[in-house]
Amino acid sequence: MISGIPHTIAKQGWWIASRSSGVVALVLVTISVLIGLTMAGKPIRKPGLNRKLLAVHEQTALAGLVAICVHGLTLLADPWLKPGLTGVLVPFAMPLHTFWTGLGVIAGYLAMLLGLSFYLRKNIGAKLWRKAHRATVAVWALGLIHALGSGTDTSSLWFRAFALVTFFPIALLFVYRLGVERRAEERKHLAARQRRRRELLGEREMLAEYEQPLTVR
Amino acid sequence: MDHPEPKRKPSPRPVIWGSLTLFGALFVFLTFQLSASAAPSHARGAHDKKVATRKRASAESEASTDTEAGEEGESLYAEPEYAETEYSESVPGEEEIVEPEAEAEPEPEPEVEYVEPEVEEAPPVVTSSS
Repeated sequence: MISGIPHTIAKQGWWIASRSSGVVALVLVTISVLIGLTMAGKPIRKPGLNRKLLAVHEQTALAGLVAICVHGLTLLADPWLKPGLTGVLVPFAMPLHTFWTGLGVIAGYLAMLLGLSFYLRKNIGAKLWRKAHRATVAVWALGLIHALGSGTDTSSLWFRAFALVTFFPIALLFVYRLGVERRAEERKHLAARQRRRRELLGEREMLAEYEQPLTVR
Repeated sequence: MDHPEPKRKPSPRPVIWGSLTLFGALFVFLTFQLSASAAPSHARGAHDKKVATRKRASAESEASTDTEAGEEGESLYAEPEYAETEYSESVPGEEEIVEPEAEAEPEPEPEVEYVEPEVEEAPPVVTSSS
């Protein structure tokens, strides 16, 4: 078996590298999304924690983007698949597992767009950036679907365990975040209504005072 | 006067080293797995089928480098026929490729002359008038 390893690396090295970098990318994006959802939902409140989490969130996201690039480049060099630039860059142009690899290409572009938009948030506006950044969960979901559909290791026990172990916390945190956002929206609406009511009451009182007949002492 | 400790970002080193280590570990693991799955007893699941198809295709392309399809890799995307796949014990790429034997030409049938059978004349019918 060991004697066959150099032969395997020579023949399938690029493919193995592509598989490895794909898994690394998925792991890094998963960690980044987990941290992002944890920060957004604020289930743990500890001073200084958010700053540290934000740094790791950013680092894992950037490392994930690098891993996605390596995943594509190593696939490009695979002498068996020979996808060509079109196969790697254009969605649904790969001749093998066309649909699943197409989803992967879209996920890669979305990851680049949403990840790097962090550095342009002053230009595009914080509100718009925050809205767009929420779609990062979709990048993770697309990446996981791509891996499950076209990945060679999806039938492996270790990959299934990883997918299961990470899916449930992310789904839970996502639902929790949605709940937090809805509560915040409701609070915002309530505060606006109360403010309007106070304003109306104030106006009425002022009018009542104004219309009161002057009494001569 | 005490200065407050400057707030520093955590170093990116753990993330970088962690990613590289994971990549290396996966590379080694998958290489071992691929080398080990050369044996027919291991080729069971979808993963092994994909690997086996890939190996078979690369071995075929090696064997038929003179043909156009082998050079262009056109036939490599063909859907694998798992049910008909035969796994060999040898290391991928070193399998003995057995050329299918050419069909033996059918032996020419011996020419047989048609000989009309001699028909014996029927004996004259004798009627006895008794």
